[in-house]
Amino acid sequence: MMMEAIAFYMLAGFLIFFSYKVISVPNPLHSALYLVLTMLGLASAFFNLGAQFIAGVQVIVYAGAVMVLFVMVLMLFDLKTEIRSFSRGLISGALKVMSAALIAGLALGGARSSVTVLDAPAGAAVPGDVTRQLGILLYTKYLFAFEILGILLLAVAVGVVAVSRMKGGTHARH
Amino acid sequence: MNHALLILTLLIAPLIGFLFNGLRFRSHNAYLAGAVATGASAISFLCSVTLWTKLVSLPVENRVLETKFFEWIAVGTLKIPFGFVVDQISIIMILIITGVGSLIHLFSIGYMSHDERPSKFFAYLNLFLFNMLVLVLGDNMLMTFVGWEGVGLCSYLLIGFWFTDPAKAAAGMKAFVTNRIGDAGFLIGMFILFFTFGTLDYSDLAAVVPKVAELGWTGPVTMACLFLFLGAAGKSAQIPLYVWLPDAMAGPTPVSALIHAATMVTAGVYLFVRLSAVLVLAPHAMEVIAWTGALTALMAATIGITQWDIKKILAYSTVSQLGYMFMAVGVGAFPAAQFHLMTHAFFKALMFLGSGSVIHAMHEEQDIRKMGGLKKYLPVTYITFLMGWLAIIGIPPFAGFFSKDEILWQAWSSPHGSKGLWAIGAITAACTAFYMTRLMALTFWGKSRVSPDVHPHESPPTMAIPLIVLGILSVIGGWIGIPHVIGEVLPGHPPNIFAHWLEPVVAKVEAGHGSAVMEWSLMGFSVGLAGIFAWLAYDFYVRVPSRPKAVAAALGPAYRLVENKYFVDEFYFGKIINPLVEASKAIWLYIDVNFIDKATYFAGDLVSGLAQLVKTIQNGKTQSYALYMALGVVIIMTVVLSS
Amino acid sequence: MLDTEALMRIGLGHYIALSGIIFSFGMIAVMMRKNVIVMLMGVELMLNAVNLSFVAFAKEAGNLNGHIMVFFVMTIAAAEAGVGLALAVAIYKKFHEVNIRFFEQLKG
Repeated sequence: MMMEAIAFYMLAGFLIFFSYKVISVPNPLHSALYLVLTMLGLASAFFNLGAQFIAGVQVIVYAGAVMVLFVMVLMLFDLKTEIRSFSRGLISGALKVMSAALIAGLALGGARSSVTVLDAPAGAAVPGDVTRQLGILLYTKYLFAFEILGILLLAVAVGVVAVSRMKGGTHARH
Repeated sequence: MNHALLILTLLIAPLIGFLFNGLRFRSHNAYLAGAVATGASAISFLCSVTLWTKLVSLPVENRVLETKFFEWIAVGTLKIPFGFVVDQISIIMILIITGVGSLIHLFSIGYMSHDERPSKFFAYLNLFLFNMLVLVLGDNMLMTFVGWEGVGLCSYLLIGFWFTDPAKAAAGMKAFVTNRIGDAGFLIGMFILFFTFGTLDYSDLAAVVPKVAELGWTGPVTMACLFLFLGAAGKSAQIPLYVWLPDAMAGPTPVSALIHAATMVTAGVYLFVRLSAVLVLAPHAMEVIAWTGALTALMAATIGITQWDIKKILAYSTVSQLGYMFMAVGVGAFPAAQFHLMTHAFFKALMFLGSGSVIHAMHEEQDIRKMGGLKKYLPVTYITFLMGWLAIIGIPPFAGFFSKDEILWQAWSSPHGSKGLWAIGAITAACTAFYMTRLMALTFWGKSRVSPDVHPHESPPTMAIPLIVLGILSVIGGWIGIPHVIGEVLPGHPPNIFAHWLEPVVAKVEAGHGSAVMEWSLMGFSVGLAGIFAWLAYDFYVRVPSRPKAVAAALGPAYRLVENKYFVDEFYFGKIINPLVEASKAIWLYIDVNFIDKATYFAGDLVSGLAQLVKTIQNGKTQSYALYMALGVVIIMTVVLSS
Repeated sequence: MLDTEALMRIGLGHYIALSGIIFSFGMIAVMMRKNVIVMLMGVELMLNAVNLSFVAFAKEAGNLNGHIMVFFVMTIAAAEAGVGLALAVAIYKKFHEVNIRFFEQLKG
């Protein structure tokens, strides 16, 4: 009980620190590396919540594939530390921070307050063999959404190739 | 064939003809266009004849063929079906419209063969036929109004058919605007009837109107009839709205024959015959109609004496004859009005077509001072025109005699009539005889005044056949309405078929007073009068050609007043139209510019000023947009969650 | 005295709060950073924060629907990252910088 709380607070501290760093460091490459750390922290949070499979996917897909893509693009561009990495305007900046916080608070508060309508009793344990159950659910109840996602990914892949190929790719003749 | 299908064919045939010619309006092929249009018209005529035979086979008290194609308007208590009715009144109308119409279509093929836009012309003619049929067949006033407006449009299009001439285009506009004034009256009359009786259906109206006559001037029936008469005066060229009809002669001559003599201008008469059950309840309105008709007849006839344009004379003659019909309506002689409408359609269409033939032969010359002695060049036209002339001046046994004397007798004897009306009618008959004989004399008789470079030639058969048919009808057309007193002395006692035919559907006015002796003597008087004046005109214009000038000079100002058409157009322009234009201009310069324009400018400036303010939001910065979106989401979520 | 009991019993509320904080950071990055790639990272942060709340709710509710949702979100996020980076590449090719202000060129 106590240990769990201490572990959570440590994890939460790390996550907040890392995600703060993601948005505040002037060098985009550093941001990306902090984001990797945030992803890993989230993966452990998922693990804590009993979602082992999701945690694995988080590490492999996010921290592995997606972030590698980010870092690769950043290194391709060879971006240096930015002199002015935030947009101008004090009032609009304050408004932006405020509205972001408000949205987060309102959305999650609203979701929290409506959690009582969920059908299962609060705190009920997730059945043991989560990964197997997830697979069954994915290929039965959610099969159609799953297939649609496959098509979406195909379309995105083609689209990305098309966008990047415009004017001869990254090695365009200037 | 079922009667709904017949009525549909009757209506659709000219519409198809219109679409066919209207869609290929650039074509110059007058023969194809004319053949299609004439064919469409002939199909309608065949349908009309079939409907007539069907109607005859029905029992007398139930001679009506109705069909409702669909519910057109249903708002509250106002229910207007898209329905048509063929009964004793409308069958006569459709027989005239399609029969005379077909002949005029046929005539037009020859007449318009050298025109630049024959397809357009025939398209308009067919559209006119369609609208006219809707007008007379509609089973409620709104359907009639649809046709009423449609024929007005066609009239405008055809008067201004040669629109490259500004005077002709202006004539079209004059006709249209004058008719609009009348149409406003028609609408108001219709509103009053609907407001009072809650229906616009003719048969329902006849059933729900009260059974006792209205004595005051301001009762709803009287007001409705007076407003409807304003509408009828616009369409049928009565005082004060007759001014457009003489100008309408700017259109091609077959148009004058079909629309401005035989069919469209009689729509007002038709309307009152149709509404006879309503009209008889408003004796004051009848009085107004009778006197207006009589005065119109006299005024137009006197103007006709002084005109020199062959078509203008016929136009004033038409106005005058329409005045007769309204006089008949006003004294409650509805069958007589309808009868004169029919015979007039025959002989006036004939005379217009004859004048068209003359004009065609004279290479577009319309001034009768430059004609004369044409009878040896145009034998067919001359003979048929002669029939029309005898018919219109009322020489027995030609068609016009029976219908005109029926009207005169009714004007004398009917309880709604008076000696004064009869006197005006008789004088008009004398004037008619004079100016028509003058027209004959100057055009066909006497010495030729044709300029040497014009070589008159007889018209082609397509133009001659309609003339011959109409000529025959002008002779025998009156025989179906022989008055009782004449029928008695004739062998076989021919009855007044026409009056018996209409008897069940028109309102009955109590029988007139007056003896058979009286009727005979009045008849003899008017025929004698017409004969004397016809001989006088012959004497004036053929035997002593110098006399007209001397007489005109002797009459002095009176002659000039009549020659200038009583200065009615000048009066309208000087006292009504121009002051109205001036007042409108003043209102425009003061109220429009100072208030309305400023208000609109202010509204516009306000909006653009606000836009300048809001414009700054639209700055193209993606992140600002994201902020606005976030703020919006915050607001929406607050509202949703706090509720 | 703080209610230490409530603070110590880690439950749905704690994870929700954490998720909210991370989501705000992501959103601030999207709205305030000038670098397009860092903005995309902000989007990833937001998506991850939402994933965290999904998993927390799934645990609370005792079923796996939340997990399925996370699975889908991850797929979409990967696709979005691909497209976003491709656009960044396109911008870079034109301006040799990946600043969001170049998107102002798209103003109508």
